This record gives sequence, structure tokens and C-alpha cells, in this order.
Amino acid sequence: MRRGWLPLALMTALIVALGAYTQAHHSEFLGKLNLNSLLLEAMPLVIVSLGQVCALLVGGFDVSVAALMTMCVVTASFTLTPTMSGAGLIPGALALVGVGMATGIFNAFLIRVLKLPSIVATLGTLSVLQGASLALRAYPTGPVNTDVTNVLNSSVSFVPYAFIGVVALALFADLWLYRTRGGLALRAVGLDATSSRRLGMSAGRIIFLAFVACSVLASIAGFYLTAEVQIGSPIIGNQALESIAAAVLGGASLAGGRGSFFGALLAAFFLTEIDNVLPLFQQPAEYADMTIGILILLALVLYQAPELIARARNARRRVAPVPATTSEASA
Amino acid sequence: MSTPGPARPVALSLAHVSKAFGAVQALHDVSVECREGEIHALVGENGSGKSTLLGIASGFLAPDEGVVEIAGARLRRPSPARARRLGLGIAYQDYSHVLDLTVAENLYLALPPKDRPPHRRAERWAKETIAPFELGIAVDATIGTLSLAERQLLEVVKALLPRPKVLLLDEPTTALGPDAVGKLQALVLEQARAGVAIVYVSHRLPEVLSVADRVTVLRDGVGQGTFDAESVSEEKLIALMIGRPLEVAFPDRPAPDAEAEVLLSVSGLRGERFGPVDLAVRKGEIVGLAGAEGNGQVQFLRALAGVERATGTSSCDGRELDTRTPLGPLRAGVVLLSGDRRGEALFPVLSVRANATVQVLRRLARLGVVGRRRERGAIRGLAARLRVRMASPEQPIQSLSGGNQQKVSLMRPFLRGDVKVILAEEPTQGVDVGARFDIYEALRAKTREGVAAVVKSSDPIELAGLCDRVIVMSRGRIVEEIPGDELGERRIVEAIVGSKRTVSSAHGSAA
Repeated sequence: MRRGWLPLALMTALIVALGAYTQAHHSEFLGKLNLNSLLLEAMPLVIVSLGQVCALLVGGFDVSVAALMTMCVVTASFTLTPTMSGAGLIPGALALVGVGMATGIFNAFLIRVLKLPSIVATLGTLSVLQGASLALRAYPTGPVNTDVTNVLNSSVSFVPYAFIGVVALALFADLWLYRTRGGLALRAVGLDATSSRRLGMSAGRIIFLAFVACSVLASIAGFYLTAEVQIGSPIIGNQALESIAAAVLGGASLAGGRGSFFGALLAAFFLTEIDNVLPLFQQPAEYADMTIGILILLALVLYQAPELIARARNARRRVAPVPATTSEASA
Repeated sequence: MSTPGPARPVALSLAHVSKAFGAVQALHDVSVECREGEIHALVGENGSGKSTLLGIASGFLAPDEGVVEIAGARLRRPSPARARRLGLGIAYQDYSHVLDLTVAENLYLALPPKDRPPHRRAERWAKETIAPFELGIAVDATIGTLSLAERQLLEVVKALLPRPKVLLLDEPTTALGPDAVGKLQALVLEQARAGVAIVYVSHRLPEVLSVADRVTVLRDGVGQGTFDAESVSEEKLIALMIGRPLEVAFPDRPAPDAEAEVLLSVSGLRGERFGPVDLAVRKGEIVGLAGAEGNGQVQFLRALAGVERATGTSSCDGRELDTRTPLGPLRAGVVLLSGDRRGEALFPVLSVRANATVQVLRRLARLGVVGRRRERGAIRGLAARLRVRMASPEQPIQSLSGGNQQKVSLMRPFLRGDVKVILAEEPTQGVDVGARFDIYEALRAKTREGVAAVVKSSDPIELAGLCDRVIVMSRGRIVEEIPGDELGERRIVEAIVGSKRTVSSAHGSAA
């Protein structure tokens, strides 16, 4: 568990340090207006990163999430048009979640039933969704209902309601993961699927549900992406790689079985903060990508250091005498 | 020893079970019954189908034919979860632990969901649960930090947690010392008295016979009968376990030369699952490595090749071997023929030619460019001599039969010319009978040139026919050495199962 706190502490420290440094040079950074826009800007990545943690926990990846989010934006431009209002918007909103659910089941089917590696399966799904988005909207057009975007963006003071909700969700998810039997089962399956199956767990069902959860969360992230772009744009962002980066920076292991939803939330927020801050210093956006890349490498080395040290120690310990057989001989 | 009355009901029934893996018929029409309160031993050589039978009984494998009944209920659409619900517990030979979770978490997961205490009380519950077993294991320790013996005992404890009506134990003592074996057996007897039906799989005959009520013998996937443990002798059981017809010829064995220089010398080598091991192999000698699976033979062989970690010293031709990486032994002329042909020894999609010459490309190259003609020239004669059956040297090696694939990996030591020691792991596994002799002949031909060989095999007939002497490992140590004039299948099997006569002689040589 000690290992689990390191990513949370590191991400918090980095968020605070970057914020303090920026504030010292640009006093408007911590202004209500900028904080509000920063938090709203972070929403899509934060939510999709929580989903990515689900996939990583069972030892997989989902690279189709960004294409799914774009598909949701395109869908919204048809199902949540400016002429609609009130309860009439509910079916349109459900359509987005439906797209997520269907994608999740499709991915899970490819991975569990056809036994494709998750990275290959979701890469295929990515292309299918990309093609579908372009078929529906060849170029950005079709405005989205502003009632919807206003609801999504509504805030108390500078904090969006949705952000409070997502923080609560991440905390609950972590408590569930580390303090309940369901969470234990999920981690066990991610760490060792064969042993879990032998212990009578339905590893297949758990992996299936993890990928469905990932896609459903990505479709909810799609709502916030819609609120951001506000028009049916078929252009796909780089949230797939960024969400994996956030999950890993937040403490998720690529080998499965380890991760923290709250850690991913903090890391996703930090990545958005970098994007938000660089223009203030007149730095080109390319620097953001390089910074993020270097940070991921540093974080991975740092997180794995305790494990590597422990493994080296174990390896030395393991080379210990095997129990003697002499008394078997005298039996 | 408990003596169940004849009226006690059958708790586990396997009726006319068959199972094939590809072309290999692992089980053929096997029937076994285990009654409540009975300890039923299942014995057989390596590869006789014991583990497959347990896999089917536990729901992990689905039988091709036959019926499994647990506590009177038929196991339909087999899965481990369904078998557990019917009342089956199993301790796997290679365990069912999630190594990165703690002891408490693993024990908790081993309970059926409805019996689990609230998660927050899991640690205290685990502590109370394992206290009566007196294992001295901290429940907050990660399983990965425990010794193999501790893991093995925990595996049995885990199998008992759901209070099963049927308990399957697959080689439950491979990592245990004598005290722990006694402890485990007391536990097993106690469970039997409480009415649990226990199937106890082990290759250690004295060990199983001391607790079993009945014994079923398997040979090559076929049941050889079920006997009362009290009335059947070890000799009879061994006779039933072996006795396959001799179907392969072996090359002639040269007269032993006690004067030949020692090529491979090992002293105090120890690693995970084996050691300390001392061994000297002379020039021209083929030494067999026998033992039940999982007693350190593979790890020992691989450690010598630098593939697994080990401490201690080993030398080849008088020079110390650097076994920290595979490169050290390779440079010194020690070649490993891995048992995992597809995974380690071969490049399946590359051609026969590329697979054969991969270690000697430098010699076949001029100015850094490998000449295809030179390559083909190098392997043509050798392929004929080893009788590799192939359409062309450019054929991908995965399209060859297992035996021909093995011959191609054997071409490598022939091509190198500077090989001193060949370490062969299961050289004829999955190889058809016709090709076996060619492989034996090739190994013998190479040792006649002055190479030393160590052959790890789970087939006692092969070891008896091919080797100059055989060493037997148990629990990671050499427990017996069988000289050439005593070699025979029966002698080797007796040594492996640790029957009384051979055990007392092992006492002398192991001291």
C-alpha cells in the first residue's frame, strides 16, 4: 500500500508546484475565470482516464476511446440539436451512452470471445469509429444544443458541479477497489487470471465488464468534449494516449492489477494544467508533448524503483537451500 | 489409516473419461471412484495422465467423453467455479496463488463469496483461520515473498477453506521437507476422518502408501486397476506403472572410460528449486538426469546454461563458467537444447537453413556478408547424416515435424565444431519413434568425438537406453546415481518413486 501513495503524492506536488510557479509570474492564473476554464477543460481527459484505469486494471489497453469520444460528439450533433428542449433531450443523451455501451460490448467481445489482444482489438474499433464519424460528418458542422452544454458547464463559484461529481466518483472507486471484495477480485484477475480462475472467479466476466465500463466512461467524457467543441466535428483528439499516460502517471501498472482512479484523476488534471500554462509563457504547444513524455518516463522509473529493489533482494533470498531430503532417506 | 465401511457413499466419480490434446491421447476410458472418508492414491509415471485426470475432476479441463460426478451431482459444462460449488477443493501442483496479493487476500479469495466475512475484517479472519494450522506465516505478507514450502502448505489450506466434500491433492509435497510432509499427512488423515473424500496424487510411493486406503495406477493414460493399499506391494505397483513395450532401438554404448578427463564440473551449484548440486561429467559420456517433474532437474540444467540464476561454481574444460548470462556458457562451448522448442530454441517462421546456421554466421560470412551457397553447403551433408526429412532447406521450420525440428536444432552443435558440452532437455519430446533413434545416434556420434552430454528426460526407457549413467534428483538434490551396468527402466522408476530398497542405497550415496 505504501507504494500506492507515491503517485498520488507526486502528482499533487507537481500540480501545486506548477500552479505556484505560474501564479508567481502571471497573477491571473489563479483567477476564478481561468480556474473554471481549466477545470472544464480537464473534464474529458479526467473522465476517460478513469475508464482507461478499468482497462489497465485487467491488464489491457483501450486505444479506441478518443475515436469513441469523437463519435459521441458527432452523434450529439444529430441527437442534441438546438431545436430540441427539456425532456426531449433525454433520448438524445441516452443515445451517446448507448454508443459507448455498444462499443464497450463490441470491444469486450473481440477480447474475451475472439481472444484478440486488447491493443489490436481496440485499434480495429478505433478505425471503425473513425470511419463512421467521417461518414456522418465529413467536416465540422451541426451545432449542439446550448441548453445541454450549459448544464454540463454549470458551476458553483469556479468549480463545475461535474468536477465535484468526478472527484467523488474517483474516491469511491478507489475505496471500492482497495476495500471491498469486488475490488479485490478485479485486482486478482488483473494480477493473475489463471490463479483467479482456479479460485473459482469468473475472470472472463470481470474482464468483459472492465472494457464495457471503460467505453461507457469514455462516452460520458464524450459529453464534455461535446460541450467543449459544440459542433459535430469528426476530428479525433489524442485522448487515447493521454488517458493511458494519465493512468500510468497516477499509479496504474501496465501489467494489470494495480492502479488508482484518484491518481489518474490527478494526473489527467496535471496534464491539462501543462497544456493550459504553456501559452501563458509563450511556449509552443510542442513543448507540452515533450514535457509529458519525459515525465512519464521519469515517473515509471520512480514508481518501479521500490519494486526493482525488492525483486533484487528477493532474488538473492530465493537462492536458499531447498529442504533437506535426508530424513526421507532414513524413513 | 482410516478404513471406510463398504457402505459409505461415493463422493467423487469419474466414469469412462477420455481426453486428447491434439494427436496425444492423454486419457483413454479411465474410471475412478473415491468414497467419503477415503484417501485414494493416484500413481503413475510422468506423463501418465494424472494431472489431466485431476484437471477434469476439478472442472479446469472438459473431458472429450465420460461423466464427472461430485457429491452425487453431475458436473455439466465444466468450470472450476462449478466444481467448487458442488463441493470440490483442489490443491494445484503449481499453486493457485496471486503472488502480488497478501496471504490474507489470497485466503479470502479462496472462500466461496457467500461465506466471506466483510472485507474490512479479512485480515483478522485470515489470522484466526490459519492459526490452527501452525504455519508461522504472517497474513499480511505478500505470497511472492514466501518460500516454496510455505506456498505449498498454503495451497492445501486454501483448498480446505470452503470445507470441500472432495479434496484433490496434486503432488502436494514436492517442495516440502520431512517435518512438513508429516504435518501435511496428519492434516490429510484428519480430513479423511471427518468424511472428506481425498484423491492424493504423488509419485512418492512410500509417502502415499502410508496414508492411502486404495491406489489407482495410470499408465499412458490408461487405468491399470484399483487396489487396496494394504494388500498391494510396491513392486506390483511399479510393475504396473512401467512395462511399456520397448519400441525404440538405441545406439551402442562404448565401454566406460574412467580415465577420460572431466569436461564439465559442477560444485555446490544452487538456485531456485535446486541445490546444492555437485556433478562431474567426463569426455565422451552421456549422463542422464531423472526425477519426477518439478524436482529441480530443469532449473539445474538451465542454470548451467546461464538461463536461470544460480550460485556456486561450475567449470568447463578447466575454465570457470560464467553463468550470469547465457552468453558465458555459449562462448565456453556449453550448448543448451531447450525443451521449449517453439518458444526458445527455434525461430518458427525462418527457414531450416537460417535456424541451423544462426550460431555460426560469422564463420560462414566473408567481409560481413553471409553467402547463401556457403550456408547451404554447410548444412547439406549434415542434414543427410541426421536424416532431416524436408522438401528444401528454405522451408520454414514450423512446417517440419517435431522430430525433424529437433534434428535441426541438433545441427547447431555439429556446425559449431567447438562444442564441449551438450545440455539436452527432453530431446525427444513430441518426436515420433522413427526420428528418435536418429536423435540418439546424433547425440552419441557427438560424444564419440569427445563431447560430454547431460540429458534431462522424463522417459526412463530413454534414459536407460541412451545414457552411460543416470543421476536422480528429488527436491532439488541428487539422491542417487545409477551406474551403467545397473541401468534399466525399472531401476530408474524405483529410484524416482523412492521405494525402500533404493532409498536406503541413496542414503549412502547422498551422505
